[in-house]
Amino acid sequence: MQTAATVWFLTLRSLREAFRQPAQEAGNVIIPLFFFAVTVGSIGSIAGDAFGVDNFTGFQVPVAILAAGSSISASAGLGTITDIQRGYFDKLLLTPAPRWAIALGRITADGVRTVIITGVIVAIGLLFRTGFDAGVAGVAVLLAGSFGFGMAYSGFNAAIALRTGSPQAAAAGGLFLFPLIFLSTAFAPKEVFAGWLQALATINPITYVLEAQRSLILEGWDGFALLKGAAAIFGFGIASFTLTFWALRWRTA
Amino acid sequence: MSAIVAEGLTKHFDEVRAVDGIDLEIAPGAIFGFLGANGSGKTTTIRMLTTLLRPTAGTARVDGFDIIADARTVRWRIGVALQEAGLDDVQTGRELLTLQARLFGLRGAMLRGRVAELLGIVDLDDAADRAVGGYSGGMKRRLDLAAALVHRPGILFLDEPTTGLDPLSREGIWRYVNRLSVEEGITVFLTTQYLEEADRLAHDLAIIDEGRIIARGSPAEMKARISTDVVTVQIEGPAAALDLAAALVTAVPAVERVQTADGAVVVYVPDGARAVARVVLALDEAGLAVGDVSITRPSLDDVFLQATGHHLQVEAPAAAGGGAS
Repeated sequence: MQTAATVWFLTLRSLREAFRQPAQEAGNVIIPLFFFAVTVGSIGSIAGDAFGVDNFTGFQVPVAILAAGSSISASAGLGTITDIQRGYFDKLLLTPAPRWAIALGRITADGVRTVIITGVIVAIGLLFRTGFDAGVAGVAVLLAGSFGFGMAYSGFNAAIALRTGSPQAAAAGGLFLFPLIFLSTAFAPKEVFAGWLQALATINPITYVLEAQRSLILEGWDGFALLKGAAAIFGFGIASFTLTFWALRWRTA
Repeated sequence: MSAIVAEGLTKHFDEVRAVDGIDLEIAPGAIFGFLGANGSGKTTTIRMLTTLLRPTAGTARVDGFDIIADARTVRWRIGVALQEAGLDDVQTGRELLTLQARLFGLRGAMLRGRVAELLGIVDLDDAADRAVGGYSGGMKRRLDLAAALVHRPGILFLDEPTTGLDPLSREGIWRYVNRLSVEEGITVFLTTQYLEEADRLAHDLAIIDEGRIIARGSPAEMKARISTDVVTVQIEGPAAALDLAAALVTAVPAVERVQTADGAVVVYVPDGARAVARVVLALDEAGLAVGDVSITRPSLDDVFLQATGHHLQVEAPAAAGGGAS
């Protein structure tokens, strides 16, 4: 109970920090939305004929969500570094709070921030008539998935921050999602890819996260797609949390 | 039971022996001063005793608990303010103290009361709802001190609490530390590079140099051990002149010990007033250019010089950013 409370208090602290730096939060929304608008504007009109996606705006909403989530997590990595450099991280380590709870507070806050930004992006998508076939319950599932993805991705950035203590490395850590996005079905269905890219997209967990989110927006309820997406996020989370706790052990050894 | 006991405490960073087998025993309720220059091993010692750093060798117990096996219990028992006031600039002072209190398990009215009480003790009531980023250096140190006290620890570790502060802010911190010791019986482990701070605050003192404790006792005891006056004579000219001066002064009757430091010969004699004329005469007859001459009772600086062979080099307090507002 005390440990759960510790995570909650540290989550609130990280959220407060984020909301007091609105320019940074705005950047986390505006940049993914810029790419969203440019992508839809440039190939949206031919997407139906070229690869059979009629609602390309809805098709792109999950890409904007993942890009925003990665942007949030990169800034959280920098926040951890700032805490380390200012000595505030030491102050937290000097409390009786379990050390993993200290790391988890900021990671949970990233999950919450990703949920909020997902809500904003979905709302903007609805304004552009993307629709949402799974309805209100589907939105709730999408937000839950975003929470999981935000936490999982934040874990990687926390690990980089804790292990390196370097702002440059933390900033670069936020970028590693982008190759994974490009090697997934972010911009077109897998069926139109060259063979090698199709193979890479098939083993890329981001593909399954995107397809689960898309299924909610474009198709309604597809249990198998949701299961695969949840498994991908879970696997992503296991890997990232393992790295985070390893880095935390290293830093506090 | 001693508040802090360390036996053979050692920390190596690759080839560097930052702390080299120190033994300590600190009585409950004492203000213990740990005096040393930058890089002497003070901060590494405090980081080991507060569970932030694992020793390479040796053991230590804080309030009876082992710093490795019982690290979490140790953290309940201690309050720590490290060298750089470790604060979050985005939070307000009140928020920071509230979070700290929550992490130590305080809730509800007890929490709010304790936070208000601490803000009052460190004179930050008026600034409590401002972001910490806007605080002066002195205010940050006071807030850091309050954060260290939020759970009423029995032992307080302060790592150079006044470094970089202006004299007024330093005076304020000294007042709080004294009050904690006298009124609340808190054991204070204080590292410092300021002789005056050690002299003013410490009941018990250790001097650390290159990772080893080289002198131990109360400031008065340490000074009494010298039991002589200190005659300091500045010598103008090249280094060879200083060596010659030291050799000449050694031959002066009643001189017990001679050292050279910072362009001066430092002469330890039982009666400085009587010896000074003979010392200056010996130097003058040898054709050496004698500058300023002073006779003092032994200070901690003399203790430090005698123990280490060099004066304590101290960074000047910052003129800006250390306001006591």
